[in-house]
Amino acid sequence: MGNRKATYLGTWIKEVYAIFASEMKRIFLDRGVCIIFFLAGLGYPLLYNFMYCNGTLDEMPIAVVDLADCADSRAYLRKVNDTREVRIKYHCASMEEARRLMEKRKIHGIVLIPSDYAHRLAAGEQATISTYADMSSLLYYKSLTMATNYAMLDEIREIQLERYAAAGTVGEQACQLVEAIPYEENIPYNNAFSYTIFFIPAVLILLIQQTMFYGGTMLAGTMREEGDSPFMLGSGKGAGGVIRVMAGRGLAYFVIYMVLGIYITIITPCVFGQPVNGRFGDLLLLLVFYVLACIMFTFTVSSFFRKRETVFVTLLFLSPVAILLSGFSWPTSAFPWYWRAFSYLFPSTFGIQGYLNVNTAGCDLQMAGPQMMGLSIQIMVYFVLACLNLYLEGRQIAKHSRDAE
Amino acid sequence: MSLFGEIAEVAARELKIMAKRPIYVAASVITMAFCTFFFLTFLGKGLPEDLPIGVVDLDGSSISRRFARELDASRLGKTVHYPDFVQARNDMQKGRINAFIVLPAGLNEDVMAYRRPVISYYVNSLYFVGGALAYKQALTMATLSSAAVQREVLRAKGMDEDKIMGMLQPIVIDAHQIGNATTSYQTTLCNMLIPGMLQMIAILLTIYCLGTELKYRTSRKLLELSGGSFGAAIIGKLIPLTVLMLMLGWLCDLLLYHWLHFPVAGSIWNIFLGTTMLVLASEALGIFILGCLPVLRDAISVGSLASMLSLSLTGFTLPVEVMPAPFTGLTCVFPLRHYYLFFIQEGIHATGFGGWYVQLLCFMAFLFLPLLVWRRLKNAYIRQDYPQN
Repeated sequence: MGNRKATYLGTWIKEVYAIFASEMKRIFLDRGVCIIFFLAGLGYPLLYNFMYCNGTLDEMPIAVVDLADCADSRAYLRKVNDTREVRIKYHCASMEEARRLMEKRKIHGIVLIPSDYAHRLAAGEQATISTYADMSSLLYYKSLTMATNYAMLDEIREIQLERYAAAGTVGEQACQLVEAIPYEENIPYNNAFSYTIFFIPAVLILLIQQTMFYGGTMLAGTMREEGDSPFMLGSGKGAGGVIRVMAGRGLAYFVIYMVLGIYITIITPCVFGQPVNGRFGDLLLLLVFYVLACIMFTFTVSSFFRKRETVFVTLLFLSPVAILLSGFSWPTSAFPWYWRAFSYLFPSTFGIQGYLNVNTAGCDLQMAGPQMMGLSIQIMVYFVLACLNLYLEGRQIAKHSRDAE
Repeated sequence: MSLFGEIAEVAARELKIMAKRPIYVAASVITMAFCTFFFLTFLGKGLPEDLPIGVVDLDGSSISRRFARELDASRLGKTVHYPDFVQARNDMQKGRINAFIVLPAGLNEDVMAYRRPVISYYVNSLYFVGGALAYKQALTMATLSSAAVQREVLRAKGMDEDKIMGMLQPIVIDAHQIGNATTSYQTTLCNMLIPGMLQMIAILLTIYCLGTELKYRTSRKLLELSGGSFGAAIIGKLIPLTVLMLMLGWLCDLLLYHWLHFPVAGSIWNIFLGTTMLVLASEALGIFILGCLPVLRDAISVGSLASMLSLSLTGFTLPVEVMPAPFTGLTCVFPLRHYYLFFIQEGIHATGFGGWYVQLLCFMAFLFLPLLVWRRLKNAYIRQDYPQN
């Protein structure tokens, strides 16, 4: 750098490149970081895609206790059995027997038809069917509820048509009464309410943030443990040096995570046949913003860690918290206001929403405007905070070395 | 010195370390307090209310306005009005509303003239809980509106109200939810997420507590203190941590099942036993991971990846039987899975010992895991021949 002809920009680029190269070396030589970045970054998407390849709970085993044992009850049960959701595995003589089967986890739902079922229907009264759902997973409940309700709606229609026919009303006229306002159902992005389609994208987007966050913080902690600091990487004094360090280190993470990000958000969904409805350019731009926000977030938080392992032991719990805060499952409209405000701290909140909207629901980037805006604000705020932290740390180091002298 | 004396000395030393390093308290007490507070307040009343559901009213008649009003009055739904289909669809695509219903032009007239106008609804099932509940609401509203028309006709014909109900809904479903009568998401998720956090902390802190001796090269001093007995060293070191974890676990049990009255069919004493076994099994798993990889950084990375994975593999969200066969086997390597099965027996079915003794045996099997790596870890403690970092 002693070359007098070197321009300011030339020196700047050279220095940033040197920091970039040393950060890359540091990452690839650190086994712990490699486990997090590459074992988790490359392995988890495959693992989760395999694990959740069947996203719906079909043909869930249930038991029926048919105390009526008549043509009507059998017709109803046939309809229940014909749904996609459940399969009647056992016909029990008593509730006690069915209950024992549920305790043994052989079945996850019970349908009880009382002995007065046919009698009540014949008398034109309301007949009651009881269902008992195993609540150890909400999907069991959902399957049983959907199956028994679909069958009920269909059975009701038939019973009504029969009764109107008996009263002399048939054909179109009867249909006009039974279903005066027919409905049409459209569930465009995830027709079967598949777990795979809603859960995998959220997990994978979160994975980008969390692996970078833990790995990056671990690396920064290691440097400080060794008496080094990210600040020392730059040779420049003051604010200029800070920007160079941010640019050089940021570039290293950016390169690694753009590769991982494309693998995670674009390649694995294609390989596993997950929906990719967004435009490639839009997805890429969203990814660039998200990765940048994650980098700045990581830099900011990692300023507070002086030891290598501390981040795992103290902040690992943030993974399930951050994924719930993205609103992919529990609706954002039901968040208490303070948790909604808290959710804006994490890039994953905007990243997951943006990715679900663009990739799966097929929005264009303009429609993902609020998420892009959120990420942009995060990039700026965290950039300033990270620079400030780095600058303060530099001053502290300088003070220490002066004191030592 | 007797074995007990040695263990006591190591435990006393461990307490001093804990007092010196705030990370123990931060990682256990503060983390558990934050997570418990988060899960309990975030999931609020257990079922979301007032989900934004769009209504595109192209008719503007008394019938369509009543439809929108009734949707708004329901517990689940909150009406958001849209002038046309495109705006509603865009907002659904952006995730702003969970669903929308299109009431066609001429709805009122068509109903009056028995021309059977069609209502369409659109549901965004990408946002899962909101989508599923909005779907339920839309389906209910759609069937109810048909029933309302039918009721008017039957009333006009002079049928009495009891008969009308028998006609409109000849079959009623009386649904019972065993173990969670109010279908609360809070109950289902907290029952497993809070023990999941406990498992995570127990695994990580065990690795941290034993691994730092290797990292800071203090393991030989520790062995000197324990009179050369590796067993005494490990037990002494883990006693304070175990007591801390058990207290936290029991406190969470008390909070959920005693003070907050989360439904638990069996006895809370058995739940305490389950929590105890969960903590001990997780610590054993932590020792096993560190024994396989006697380098703190590697062990802690692997421990973190494993404890996150176990949340998915427990099966309280997507049931295990839906997963491909190899994963069914993999689920068994995490204590949380056994706790889940234990909890189903005790908390939902109240079967007592007869229902969960298998899980108890599985938990006990975990306690033998450290023996597999005992010699390896002992050598690492003596020789200190693994990299520090």
